[in-house]
Amino acid sequence: MNPLDKPWAQLALALLTVLILPLFLKSGILATEILIFAMVVAACNLLLGYTGLLSFGQGIFFGIGTYAAGICLTRWSVPVPLVLAGAAVLGAATATLVGWLSIRRQGVYFVMLTLAFSQLFYFIAYTFSGLTGGDNGLLGVPRPSIGGTALDAPWSYYTYVAVCFVAVFALLVMVTQSTFGRTLLAIRENEGRAAAIGFPTRLFKIEAFAISGAVTAFGGALHAMLIGVAPLSNIEYHTSELILIMTIIGGSSSLFGSVLGAGFYLLLADALSTVWPRWLLLLGLVLVTVALFLQRGLWGLVERGYDLAFRRERAPETPAEEH
Amino acid sequence: MTDIALQTRGLGVKYGTFHALAEVDLQIRRNSVHSIIGPNGAGKTTLFHALTGRVRASSGRIELDGRDITDTSDDDRVRLGIARSFQVTSLFPNLVLRENLRLAAQGRTPWQALAPWRRAESNAEALAIADEVIQRLELGPVVNRLAGELSHGQQRRLEVGMAMAARPRVILLDEPTSGMGIDDIEAMKQLIRDLGRDHTVLFIEHNMGIVMNISDVVTVMRLGRKLVEGTPAQVRDDPEVQRAYLGNMITGDIA
Ligand SMILES: Nc1ncnc2c1ncn2[C@@H]1O[C@H](COP(=O)(O)OP(=O)(O)OP(=O)(O)O)[C@@H](O)[C@H]1O
Ligand SMILES: [Mg+2]
Repeated sequence: MNPLDKPWAQLALALLTVLILPLFLKSGILATEILIFAMVVAACNLLLGYTGLLSFGQGIFFGIGTYAAGICLTRWSVPVPLVLAGAAVLGAATATLVGWLSIRRQGVYFVMLTLAFSQLFYFIAYTFSGLTGGDNGLLGVPRPSIGGTALDAPWSYYTYVAVCFVAVFALLVMVTQSTFGRTLLAIRENEGRAAAIGFPTRLFKIEAFAISGAVTAFGGALHAMLIGVAPLSNIEYHTSELILIMTIIGGSSSLFGSVLGAGFYLLLADALSTVWPRWLLLLGLVLVTVALFLQRGLWGLVERGYDLAFRRERAPETPAEEH
Repeated sequence: MTDIALQTRGLGVKYGTFHALAEVDLQIRRNSVHSIIGPNGAGKTTLFHALTGRVRASSGRIELDGRDITDTSDDDRVRLGIARSFQVTSLFPNLVLRENLRLAAQGRTPWQALAPWRRAESNAEALAIADEVIQRLELGPVVNRLAGELSHGQQRRLEVGMAMAARPRVILLDEPTSGMGIDDIEAMKQLIRDLGRDHTVLFIEHNMGIVMNISDVVTVMRLGRKLVEGTPAQVRDDPEVQRAYLGNMITGDIA
């Protein structure tokens, strides 16, 4: 195993990211958005990389978190920590339902089901405009405040989100290292065998969905507070796609890969969109390149770079260390 | 407790409209070595699938220690004490050997593994079982190799180890020696004989030498049905069996 894949290394890299972003970025909004998507993408990775489930439903949970924050904060001014916890619980519950129904089918049909749910929830949000604001979304979502001062400045909200991000990332690292996470890997590798040695594999997949949904909704709530709106676009199918693309670009073999994927995508989109209005075309090319030449994503590139720099003679994949 | 560990009555399995298994009555004695033989396509593996719950029985019933388990799910049956190995090696190829066995040992108590904060290493018992199986199968030198990178013989031994790690009372081995070298086969024969002392062993085998040598009872299957059953000597001399094998001589010494 590459030393960079060890849990402490992953955690250290996440911390480093939090510290480095303010040094290189002018926009606190962009930096905050990167951290929010980083946790959401890592949650998607728990499904894709660790459980082998390609879920097109992540936008549902993101949107649910967004609306939870939007509704609770604009109508009843519920305390923010409570809103975040509530969003996570709601996300977990929705993901349990979506997961429970979707994993009844495998492969393409599973993916189709998550896609169908994604459409379904979008139309629900669109239809119940009394609650969700429909096309306009919910406007005027306030930022949290600490000790009476609102965190209105972008970089102060960044700090708030950074603390959340590190905590969530640490939790996800713990999950992947746990006996639960290792069982997920076994299910991804060979579900039939996992069942034959006694694991109720469906239950494990549903729990992976629940955890993923909780984190994604949590991120969605933070996002609503970031942009001050709970928009319909957050629950759109496009958001699901975005999250998946970031996961794949980052590489699904490590959680920190997801941070890279989110950062890379958002920074590139930011840079390209100022250069050329048709920047999505270039993004398409980047994706093609990743799919063709970088199948382990950016993280695979990092691992290779590390091997070249620090482990001269490439040991032929020595998994000699214990994990 | 009765003397019968596992019993089927009128067991049948259909794949679509095809009867892969029909009217199979079996009685497997506790702590015996019971082998299933028969030509290709006889339904031997299908029988194992039905016994372990991988496929549903379309008729008949299955009893474990007198308890009806016909509708019990495959993972629940592991907890009741049935474990198996597969004819086509089925491991976790990108996980190391020891992790494969640790998982197999953990499978007996899967609810623990649902706690996302519990560390795998905290289950000392599972680790101990894994190490015990590693010793018994003499896989010590390769514990940290990826299962997919092991030699064929090592993979076949690990395949059997996966069943042993579940600490079953009834162990089902589907052609454990297939593709093995001559030394490995001898070791596997000893192992199965050993297992028979404190487990109920049900095993499918094409190597008649082993079957005739270590079985207490042999069941011959053909076209999804039970053809003949008896001691190795009875089965070997049965004219029906000779015919089923279409002249393929059944050889091998009886111990
Ligand atoms: N999933 C399946 N769907 C349809 N038919 C199947 C399936 N699995 C097995 N069969 C058929 O059922 C019959 C019994 O197969 P089975 O694998 O149980 O035989 P076997 O006795 O184990 O043979 P072998 O000695 O080759 O392993 C065969 O005719 C086979 O083609
Ligand atoms: Mg077979």
